[in-house]
Amino acid sequence: MKKILIVDDEQDIVESLKFVLEANNYTCYTADNGEDGLRLAKEIVPDLIILDVMMPKINGYKISRLLKYDAKYKNIPILMVTARSQEEDKLIGEETGADEYITKPFELDEVVKKVEEYLK
Amino acid sequence: MIKILFISDNNEQIDKYDAILNKTSNEYYCISDEAIISDVINSGVPDIIIIDQAYKNLRNIHKLIKSYTDNTVVIFLINSSPVEKEILKYANAFITYDMPEDLINSTININLRMKNAIEMLSNSNKDLADSLYRLNALYSTSSQFAGTLDKEKLLRCMSEGMDRALSFSLNCTLSLCTETEPVLILDSLYELSEELISAIKLRTILNYNSIFDGAEPPFKIEIDKLKVVKHVKNTANRFTFNLFQYDNMFAPIKLADNIFGFVEIFKDGSFSSDDSTCFQTIAQQVALPLKNASLYQEIIEANVKLEKLERLKSEFISIVSHELRTPLTSIKNSLDILSSGKCFDMTESAEKFLAMASRNVQRLSGIINDLLDLSKIEAGKMEFKFAPTNINTVIDYVKTALSVVAKSKGIELVVDVLENIPDTIADSQRLEQVLTNLVSNAIKYTPEGKTIKISSKVVNGNDIKINDIFKDSISGLSGDYIQVSVKDEGIGIDPKDQLRAFDKFAQIENSLSRKVGGTGLGLPIAKQLLEAHKGAIWCDSELNKGSKFTFVIPLVRT
Repeated sequence: MKKILIVDDEQDIVESLKFVLEANNYTCYTADNGEDGLRLAKEIVPDLIILDVMMPKINGYKISRLLKYDAKYKNIPILMVTARSQEEDKLIGEETGADEYITKPFELDEVVKKVEEYLK
Repeated sequence: MIKILFISDNNEQIDKYDAILNKTSNEYYCISDEAIISDVINSGVPDIIIIDQAYKNLRNIHKLIKSYTDNTVVIFLINSSPVEKEILKYANAFITYDMPEDLINSTININLRMKNAIEMLSNSNKDLADSLYRLNALYSTSSQFAGTLDKEKLLRCMSEGMDRALSFSLNCTLSLCTETEPVLILDSLYELSEELISAIKLRTILNYNSIFDGAEPPFKIEIDKLKVVKHVKNTANRFTFNLFQYDNMFAPIKLADNIFGFVEIFKDGSFSSDDSTCFQTIAQQVALPLKNASLYQEIIEANVKLEKLERLKSEFISIVSHELRTPLTSIKNSLDILSSGKCFDMTESAEKFLAMASRNVQRLSGIINDLLDLSKIEAGKMEFKFAPTNINTVIDYVKTALSVVAKSKGIELVVDVLENIPDTIADSQRLEQVLTNLVSNAIKYTPEGKTIKISSKVVNGNDIKINDIFKDSISGLSGDYIQVSVKDEGIGIDPKDQLRAFDKFAQIENSLSRKVGGTGLGLPIAKQLLEAHKGAIWCDSELNKGSKFTFVIPLVRT
């Protein structure tokens, strides 16, 4: 079974993503802050990461950058979840290496479809 | 009285002239002693000096007399011997030894009259030069006034202008122009002691209060709180309390009921009535630009406030949007999971209400997107990706995306495009957004069984026909444009509402009372997106007949 890491400080969003992905036969790991997310990513080396942008401790862009510059993890697809907030706008333009951006509020079906595309 | 000095050492001539001059009412001296000559001259310059060419000390008094020739008539008494060239140079007239009395008198009188005429001429010349100088000073001062909207600078110009025109020793300007406190500006020729400044402060306040004729002055000025700004030209010297014995003039600086201050100047010497007029004129002249400067300042301040509000609004919208998006995502996700039927057995009414909730979440998220777009455009933070774009591809995409919705309402989407339309530089995603909005609106307002037509063509700026209502808001279209129209057979828009349809404020105001969903911000956003493309949008519409929305973007050949 493919492993998916979901990192988002919004517990409800993590919960719903986990529900649909598990229903589609993926194993889900979750973290509610950037620090734990990064640690877990390195620990379990998932097949795909769903990453929120605005999070306490380390933001999603940073995590994405850290992983993409590391040969060991750079092939893990990253789906970035964004709320298009002003703080996020400030970070735009920085190289993040994320493979895909999903804008909140998103369609769960759409996320599942994207995940399937990357894990074919 | 006329003063005449006769110099000769010829006793016969002295007696003769003593007799002649004695008959006139003039003050006269017939002298042969050289020492007395200078005494007479020093006691008051004579109007006429008659000097005997044969005078033995002529060489000695030559210089003395020469130095007065500007203002004194010099007449030489000559005998037969030739006249020295040097003497000819400053002699005004000549009298001979044997000249009869009446001729002597008339020579003296003619020369006196000439001297008076010349004096009058030179005086009026001096007056003329003075007025010209003052006029020039006034003129240059008023042109300086016209050149600035800074109150402090205006008061400096006033003081400098007064100095140019009147050469004052001290100028005390009480300025009430600053928002916070009154200021006493001292432009002084010499240094002023603290005691003297205190006295000037007190004097200025008393003078200022006196211009209101006992009525309460609009600004109550307390001596302890009066700030002093001092500009001293020559710090090596000091003014003493003698200053108050100098000639002075004062005037309020005011325009109708607006009091901007009060000015007093002192001068070591006396002011003429022309000086006074000039002084009052400058004090009056500065009031109008000061008023303008106040108004200008108010406008600037209001603008700063507005800009701040505008920024706060944009930030507010952005923050709120973000804060709304996250919970909205959770609601939407939960609804999606519930709708999938994986949690419980779906009943018909459960499905209906879940669909209702989903629809409204969709609507809410559309509103947030619109608000965010608008605030981004206004803040100039909207990013555009300009690239070669084919408008027919955009039309095709929008048609495909919306044909399902149109079909479900029984509406037919027809496309009538110019084949092989050239590519242009544009942001295709933004154009899709604009066109999606126009077509969705058309679908929303068109009844079942009708048609919506999307068309494209290339037009020249001069041939574009814009609805008269929009003529004022769209101008300067030149060169080739790509024109896209969306024509429906819907309810139409009242002419009086057509312009407002693109106005965001009107839309926000109306959005609460609208029956059809959406913020109605779609058109204002479309307008702004097209303006960012240097394009334009307008509509032609007739109530109950239908509307045609048309937009143009410049054709930038790739």
